Amino acid sequence: MVHALEEIHRLLQPTGTLIEIHPAVEPPPFVEVRSGGTVSLSEKDPAFDYADDSVHAEAAVATVAERGMFAADEPRPFELRTHAASVAEMKGYWSVYGAYDPEEREESLVRRKDEMYERAAEAMERFPGSEIVFVEPAMMTRLIRRD
Amino acid sequence: MTIRVDPEGNETAALFDLVDVQGREVLEIGCGDGRLTWRYADRAAHVTAIEPFEGSIARARERLRETNLSVELRHVSFEEFASGTNADSFDVTLLSWSLC
Repeated sequence: MVHALEEIHRLLQPTGTLIEIHPAVEPPPFVEVRSGGTVSLSEKDPAFDYADDSVHAEAAVATVAERGMFAADEPRPFELRTHAASVAEMKGYWSVYGAYDPEEREESLVRRKDEMYERAAEAMERFPGSEIVFVEPAMMTRLIRRD
Repeated sequence: MTIRVDPEGNETAALFDLVDVQGREVLEIGCGDGRLTWRYADRAAHVTAIEPFEGSIARARERLRETNLSVELRHVSFEEFASGTNADSFDVTLLSWSLC
């Protein structure tokens, strides 16, 4: 990770800007079923096990800042929210867009996630007109190149 | 209803608060299907967007054909891209969900 940041430093113009985006360590991603302002289900994503990766990403950013290669601002938190009208639609989306995520291929995680989706589907049946939302808390950091 | 990713614009709002890409030469590392790319590319002078996963970059190319944005999509790892790219080439680099 540090080597990648060193290469980005080389590719950037002097005083160029790096924007680094990664999943937040806390809170973990979660799924909501909501209808308007009412949340009928909110569960942590059982497949979330990459908090260590985020810790390492933050450590790499801190390392290049300490070396004086970049001036880093305080990370800015935000939520990336993916909305779907049904569980099937949401699962279909992730089967394509999360296909390279190795966690998705582990049988136990897939089963636990399916169980979560079953509970979400039940919640959506109880509250017609609901939507399912996958929420990914994330951090965005601005780093300015220094020589 | 189709899938809607970040209809609230949370990611874009954070991005535009932190950097002005207007007229800039931008490198996006890990562009995926271009989900974020399309939201800022119209402001940039030019975007080079790289992605190592073939399926993702194929979807991005399909979408790009529907636009006239100044975006160059490349199916390449960052290491390979960096080894063949001159220093001081970009004003802004987006490392998009790719450091971990």
